[in-house]
Amino acid sequence: MDMAQKMMQPDSLLKERAHELFRTVKDAAREADGIEITLTTGQSENLRFGNNELGQSQFGKSRNLSIRLTLDKRQARATTGRLEKSLVEKTVEKALSQARTSPQDPDHLPMLEAQRYHGLDRYHERTLTEPAEQKAAHIGFAIDLARKNGLLASGVLGTNVGNVWILNSVGLEANYKGTNGFYSLTMDADNGNQTGYALSTFADIRELDAGKVAETALERARLNKNQGETLPGKYDVVVDPYAWSETLFFLTVSATAGYAPDFGMRQYKEGRSYLSGRLGEKIMGDNISIEDDAYHPLQTGPSFDGEGYPKSPVSLVENGELRGLASSRISAHRYNDAKPTGHELQLPNPLGETPTNLVVRAKGPTKTVEKLVGELDKGILITRLWYVREVEPRTKTVTGMTRDGTFLVENGEIKKPLRNLRFNQSLLELFSNIESASEPIRNTTDFGGATILQPGILARGFNFTSASVF
Amino acid sequence: MSTSKGLGEDLAKLSLDIASRENATYADFRLVNGRDQIVTVVNDNSSSEETQSMGAGIRVLYGGTGWGFAETDETNDDSIRETTLKALSLARGASKIGSAVSFADEPVHVDRWESPVKKDPFDVSLEEKYRALQESTGKMKGEGIVVRRGQMNFSTVEKYFASSAGSKIHQNFTYSGAALAVAAKGPAGLQTRSTRQYMSRGYELIDELDLPTQAPELTKDALALVNAKRCPDGKSDIILSGDQVALQVHESAGHPIELDRVLGYEANFAGRSFLTPDQLGRLQYGSDKVNIVMDATPEHGPGLGTFRYDDEGVKSQKKYAVKEGKFVGYLMSRNTASKVGEARSNGCMRAEGYHLPIIRMTNVSLEPGDWNYDEIVEDTKDGFLMVTNYGWSIDQKRYNFQFNCEKGYRIRNGSIEEMVRGPGYQGITPEFWNSCDAVGDRKSWVLWGTPNCGKGQPTQIMITGHGASPARFRNVKVFGA
Repeated sequence: MDMAQKMMQPDSLLKERAHELFRTVKDAAREADGIEITLTTGQSENLRFGNNELGQSQFGKSRNLSIRLTLDKRQARATTGRLEKSLVEKTVEKALSQARTSPQDPDHLPMLEAQRYHGLDRYHERTLTEPAEQKAAHIGFAIDLARKNGLLASGVLGTNVGNVWILNSVGLEANYKGTNGFYSLTMDADNGNQTGYALSTFADIRELDAGKVAETALERARLNKNQGETLPGKYDVVVDPYAWSETLFFLTVSATAGYAPDFGMRQYKEGRSYLSGRLGEKIMGDNISIEDDAYHPLQTGPSFDGEGYPKSPVSLVENGELRGLASSRISAHRYNDAKPTGHELQLPNPLGETPTNLVVRAKGPTKTVEKLVGELDKGILITRLWYVREVEPRTKTVTGMTRDGTFLVENGEIKKPLRNLRFNQSLLELFSNIESASEPIRNTTDFGGATILQPGILARGFNFTSASVF
Repeated sequence: MSTSKGLGEDLAKLSLDIASRENATYADFRLVNGRDQIVTVVNDNSSSEETQSMGAGIRVLYGGTGWGFAETDETNDDSIRETTLKALSLARGASKIGSAVSFADEPVHVDRWESPVKKDPFDVSLEEKYRALQESTGKMKGEGIVVRRGQMNFSTVEKYFASSAGSKIHQNFTYSGAALAVAAKGPAGLQTRSTRQYMSRGYELIDELDLPTQAPELTKDALALVNAKRCPDGKSDIILSGDQVALQVHESAGHPIELDRVLGYEANFAGRSFLTPDQLGRLQYGSDKVNIVMDATPEHGPGLGTFRYDDEGVKSQKKYAVKEGKFVGYLMSRNTASKVGEARSNGCMRAEGYHLPIIRMTNVSLEPGDWNYDEIVEDTKDGFLMVTNYGWSIDQKRYNFQFNCEKGYRIRNGSIEEMVRGPGYQGITPEFWNSCDAVGDRKSWVLWGTPNCGKGQPTQIMITGHGASPARFRNVKVFGA
């Protein structure tokens, strides 16, 4: 048995452990009128390399017990990574003491009763048991390829397995187990003046075509040499599907309220969202649809929210019109026209609900990225966007840079690489100017925890405002 | 706290003995015990959460050529044994395709240190914290106000570090911070004003911030901004508030002096740097008014980058990154120091919790200049004052940046005149810092805290300190959002 596998507890033991912890919490929290525990466990292995060296191989295991207690319409949460009985009891005491002195919650609801869930099969044993030697061989292949071509390979091959159990005092029991991973690779030379990037994500590591990732990064790095200058201005663009997850994240949150989720019902109703008051309004092009669908086969994560409520698919934008919002029991209690959709964060949650499983689509036949480039008379191919941040919330204008391969396209063909460009672009305008798109792929982002399935796009009039010096 | 120290010593001995038996070239062990509290009020919604976490990170060098790292939050003998073996197995794997690792010498340290704290934030009742936040957000009401947000964050961190070389270091830290934000909706869309500060101090910081007194002014600003004219586009002289200069230092000076990214180890995510070793001691990074230090020593002040030892046991030091405008130094690790001809690391390896230490900013600060703030304004004929950051972005080599501020004012003939909304500026790092001709004096210098710096894969969040005072920059590209 591989050490990684040996270090992961079997499901039956984990279930037993969750129930045992719940009993400990219940015994210690007799004063509470509602009890909820969330037990989260995880294991990750990240083989990280840079400069053609495997320099940061990392393995990690984590467990967290989060306890929410309610007491006379007050509530508080305390979390511990230490699961010894005495320390769990101490955590209960902390939660109780905080709940006693918290303000009464005007949205207080009793704990959620037992629910039925759609089963989701997102656990792939092989992702956990793949030997480190095999993963190192994928990296070795990329490093060899880079060396042969006078380049340096940098990146990470990461795998994760996560479990979550929610139990509460009125009999709710929800659990989820899933695997995921990603392989992210840059090949570069000349202190980053010549770079190429590729990314692949997977739930089952057998889906990973590591050779293709390496070949793509190499091909882009080869093309991205001796960049030419171009004047800032509006250009038609093809955006690679792996290039823009961070950009899409900023479509869904506002910096104004501390990165609060804009497509959440409470954010919307309290007027905090840039979308407030715009339900039923056309905010994007006719061909754009955005839904939240935890059950899409490429999606990740559980079929329930932070309090165990089952997730429903929600159409957020349909044919360019703002049609729906992520909602919850609290919103249903507050607002007559709201129904719970299973998008609550862990309670207490002052921000509001958030979509967690976005799927972005453009109507019409999907095309490969190569085909999209082929349809560009004159424009720019973007393979990666970087450091995107909000500039103006009302129009959802964001700024950011291109990196690792920005190419001038003429008559459907890549003509030459360009120096990196800064953009200032309204995302609502961008989504009104998308002409065609590829099949959505599963990207990965270090922001926000939502999985976004997003297509590559051909869009008109993308606004570049300045150039960098490389 | 002494319980964790005892546990740390026992577990470190167990782990380091295994590493030694298995012929590791070097190993270090960290036990980190953290306690966090976050208290939030958004409009009429409130929440609090307290989190306790403890875990161990074990780093092993094998065969002099391969590093392995493993971590666990199960701090018992069996788990530490298994985790040490896992780190060894990863190190052996890496050593097969690795080359000789350089590792700068560091004296063996056996020491103990605690960050200064006057009022333990965990001794202050939750009731009092809510009272201060609700009083503040209560003062943010008004027609058109849509967001009233207040938050406090508190942490204590206890670290025990031991290495196979014999170092044994025990450090305790206390951090406190608070933020207020108010947003108004009106003819000019959503406009925000905020204030925040985070330091390595106790609740005395929150007392000093006196949030309820700041709330009405922020609210007044937000309401004025929704009717203010947009900042015009063009080229202009600008004066940046101290908190904005702090972020400018973080992004355009702090990140490009991280030696791991300079050497290419962060090329896939954080990126590289324009400050290559051939520029060291040569490049005129900024004007002669610009002096930037990397200073984790307690003497620099209670910043988020203050400590006595870094996370690989190197004692904190003060070094210049930029001296009279010239680029002269990097943030380094024991692993990278020799690559730029240094015999010793300057102690910049830091980890979020018990994760893998990587090169991070400590306190990277712009030293005070000799200008009184009022004199800078009076000396400015035509320009803009820009206050408090709203958005920030910079390319992967840290050349092309763009920052947006929450509010701005037109300056004419040395006086601050009408307010402008959405003020922003854009530039190329060395050109920008070379255009700096006035830096505020010690009186206007504040050691600001940045609690959310992301780097590494998997991403780690780090806390960093940045001392700064208001500063003036000439002929900068400005625009309005």
